[in-house]
Amino acid sequence: MAISVDSKQNLKVKTLIKCMQCDYTQERDFQVGDFVLKLVGNCPKDNGPLYIAGIYAEAVTSKK
Amino acid sequence: MNGLIIALAQTSSQGQSGAALAFSYIFYIFFIALLALSFFPGVQQKTQIMFLSRDVEQKLQMIEGYLKDSRGLTEKLLKEKGFADPKAFVERIIDRFVIDPVSVEPTDIINRMKLLMRSNEDTVREMITAVNPNIDPMTRSQIEISTEVVNALNLIYKVIRHYLIMAKKLNSIMIMYQLQMVAPIYVKYAEAYAKAQKVFLQGIPIGDGLGPLVASRFLMKADQKFTVSKDTIAGSIEFEGRKVVVVKAEGPMATVGTPGEGVQNVIEREGGRVSRIITVDAALKLEGEETGSVAEGMGVAMGDPGPEKIAIERVAVKYGIPIDAVIVKMSMEEAITEMRKEVYQAADKAIEYVKRIILERTKPGSTVVVVGVGNTAGIAQ
Repeated sequence: MAISVDSKQNLKVKTLIKCMQCDYTQERDFQVGDFVLKLVGNCPKDNGPLYIAGIYAEAVTSKK
Repeated sequence: MNGLIIALAQTSSQGQSGAALAFSYIFYIFFIALLALSFFPGVQQKTQIMFLSRDVEQKLQMIEGYLKDSRGLTEKLLKEKGFADPKAFVERIIDRFVIDPVSVEPTDIINRMKLLMRSNEDTVREMITAVNPNIDPMTRSQIEISTEVVNALNLIYKVIRHYLIMAKKLNSIMIMYQLQMVAPIYVKYAEAYAKAQKVFLQGIPIGDGLGPLVASRFLMKADQKFTVSKDTIAGSIEFEGRKVVVVKAEGPMATVGTPGEGVQNVIEREGGRVSRIITVDAALKLEGEETGSVAEGMGVAMGDPGPEKIAIERVAVKYGIPIDAVIVKMSMEEAITEMRKEVYQAADKAIEYVKRIILERTKPGSTVVVVGVGNTAGIAQ
């Protein structure tokens, strides 16, 4: 069994925005001041309130 | 030995000039002398200590680098927030300590521990607000976390340095071996602490925020939220005919709150008529386990030194309430730095676990307390 022990990863922090009323979602880069459950405007689909559903870091794969 | 030297000399003398021959002799004599010297008692040990200490010194320099970076960041933050002399403030806080309560007489040790820990937290908070009385809670929590990081890094640095100097002074290879074995682990801890400070200063949720994230999903639907204890908030929702009271630290400040006392107050307020307590927390994975894997069990899932955890256990025992635990696994570094996507996605799985426990182990009409344990930095309610 091959076991990878490489723990070095480049991470990029993303903010996931969702609509409270419909299935609209949007992912963008994290901005200072973002926090989970913060209201960030209205949905372009049904004008419902948009909120930050999550903030997480993703591993960035370097292009060679 | 003499025979060997003669044989080597004879071999090397064939077809060589005088200078080359002399060089060969010197080389062989030097080599043999070195070999003989290595068999003298103590020489080998001294050489090993030299190489080991060089390795440890290198690790110590790395830890010192993290400490300096962290100190610099803290001083910069303090300066931005109106502290006239950030260096003096950091100097005062960097060696701060809490003395463990007497444990040979364990009676009431939890209350004594709680008093010491709370007093320390309050004192640091008062030290900050004394300099800047109008500081907002978010900035105050960032300063508190920064001072904790500087304090922890300073302790790691000083302890490693202490043993390194002691091993050199005593010429102890055993201390040096042990130090060389643990130093890389502490470099990793120091790196994680330094990274964590940067994450906290930006207000990004950390892996340990998994519990508060799960709680916030439930609390989104709560009409009313109320403070149940210091830095801790609760709200109640209705789920499949059950009343679910959800407790978490008050975000989005970087705090773990006082969930133990919070749960105790909630249960007392309900008159003890609670069917189940469900604790959700991040847990350290074993190497080889997957980040974001979920497991369930019994007991209070909480990485607390004692006072908060025991508060839940005591109130549960008082009213005979079973305690369930749902944990999401991650490494130590993942727990104190940016929340990984795998952990974020595991929040949905943890919610399903909680809902299943409620449906399977409680009856409609009953009351359940769900506690999201962890640091709520970047997670509101």
